[in-house]
Amino acid sequence: MIDALAAGPVDLLATRSYYAGTALLLGIGAYVMIASPNLVKKVIGMNIFQTGIFLFFIASAYVEGAKSPIVGPKATGPFVSPLPHVLILTAIVVGVSLTAVALGLIVRVYNEYGTLEADVLQEVRSDD
Amino acid sequence: MIDAVPAVLLVLVVACALATAVLRDVLAAIIAFAAYSLGIAMIWVLLQAPDVGLTEAAVGAGVTTILFLLTIAKTVRPPGEAIFESLDPKGLVVAVLIVGVLASTLGALPPVGSAETPVAQSQVTDYYLENTYEQTHVKNAVTAVLAAYRGFDTMGEAVVVFAAGVGLLVVLGREVFA
Repeated sequence: MIDALAAGPVDLLATRSYYAGTALLLGIGAYVMIASPNLVKKVIGMNIFQTGIFLFFIASAYVEGAKSPIVGPKATGPFVSPLPHVLILTAIVVGVSLTAVALGLIVRVYNEYGTLEADVLQEVRSDD
Repeated sequence: MIDAVPAVLLVLVVACALATAVLRDVLAAIIAFAAYSLGIAMIWVLLQAPDVGLTEAAVGAGVTTILFLLTIAKTVRPPGEAIFESLDPKGLVVAVLIVGVLASTLGALPPVGSAETPVAQSQVTDYYLENTYEQTHVKNAVTAVLAAYRGFDTMGEAVVVFAAGVGLLVVLGREVFA
């Protein structure tokens, strides 16, 4: 860590660009979830937030010059770690399930209240 | 120094995410999000994770985009002529805080691609890479870990997908098939 700080911020960004990307994507995802009044865009924001975390995992598994983990009797390393890839494969599928249920709820909300804007929805619901 | 291809892809991905954030029309945001998924899938391939790249391209860019398009086909797009969203100060403060706090931890993380990272040095990683072929006779270590070593994990994933399917049918009131 001391070395990294001594090297200066430009070098820090160059060697850790994927982690910097993660930070930016998490920020953008959180902003869309909070700022956008539209429910569909909030779900898109959630998806951006998720992929930011995926980027962190896959970048942490990467080793410079290593091959993808196709092992076997004739294959020679080094290989990247397969475990983060597996975790993220599971997370992608779970994320799609989450998106599907969220969008189903949004369609239902629209059928009941006729709007997808969070602020309008709050007014309509307080009138009930 | 940083290579050109990953740098261009990272800029493309962040730019697409920003476009998704500022575009007011939901259809435009969905298209920007599909481009974003495609860029992310290419980054997975660069990071030697082709399995994740395939899944992201099929599921992230494909299925998710179709789900979003079906949703706006059944509902409305926001009315009005404005192309961009107006800036929300509250959300901006939270976003800047998140980016600031995460960026302050950058120095504590090992460089991407270093062979000395905890993940690369981990005994778990070595165990999978050394024993996968003898124990499972599957050449792709990712498949072997997914279906054999962490099979219960994958079964849990299947349960989540099933629950989501049932939940979707209940929410949309389609649980009765006449």
